Amino acid sequence: MKDGPRGIDCVEALDRLYEYIDGELTPVRAEEVRLHLEKCAPCLRVSQFEKAYLRFLEARTRAKEAPEGLRKRVLEQLLFDSDGKPDS
Amino acid sequence: MAFEAEALPHLDTVYRVALRLSGNEAQAEDLVQETMLKAFRSWHQYEPGTNVRAWLLTILRHSFINEYRKARRQAAEVDVHRVEGFTVFEHVQEADPEGRFFDQIVDDEVLRAIDRLPDEFRETLVLSDVEDLSYAEIAKVTEVPVGTVKSRLFRARQALQRELYDYAVEMGYIERREE
Repeated sequence: MKDGPRGIDCVEALDRLYEYIDGELTPVRAEEVRLHLEKCAPCLRVSQFEKAYLRFLEARTRAKEAPEGLRKRVLEQLLFDSDGKPDS
Repeated sequence: MAFEAEALPHLDTVYRVALRLSGNEAQAEDLVQETMLKAFRSWHQYEPGTNVRAWLLTILRHSFINEYRKARRQAAEVDVHRVEGFTVFEHVQEADPEGRFFDQIVDDEVLRAIDRLPDEFRETLVLSDVEDLSYAEIAKVTEVPVGTVKSRLFRARQALQRELYDYAVEMGYIERREE
């Protein structure tokens, strides 16, 4: 039997929603979710809400960079280590 | 390829994950230094062409578990099972279906809420939603099957969403829906 996209219900679509948004489904499984969302307005709204939530999470948490002092200390540490004795 | 050129571009990632694992800046810096030194010394074990970011994060996680985890101050933990059968969307779909209330919540509040997640859920969420690792990469770093990553991520995201929703209600960013 050919394993093409088949119709899925809301339960299954929502169950796979995060994997769908994360790009973790196989093309066929993703296509099934996409087709469901295309014709199911309530599920599409859930999907838009969850996408907005994940975008918000990333925006709120990614800004922080390693402090400049730390970057320097790491580099110095490596320089010093390669001058000193190697792997023990 | 030299260690500096391959590994150092990931310093921000290593630092952010260290910060969320340890929960404080001084320890995060110690953890980063230790991780980079260990990685440098075992650079010959790294297989060129494989995922250097996942490799560094694995070293970081081991250092944290072995030396720092016990010292992590126990914040009030989020109950990741509290969300059973509850979805925030159901509560906001009439008032705010696009989740605009999220935008009023500031960075520090989000980070504080993440820090209250139990260890295994926090690390999974941070690796996925802050650092954008794939499920397979997270499975490798946290040494669990992909199925476990999936279920932890689901619970962590939903629990965090619930925490942020409760906070938004408390702050008056959104009205709690009458039951």
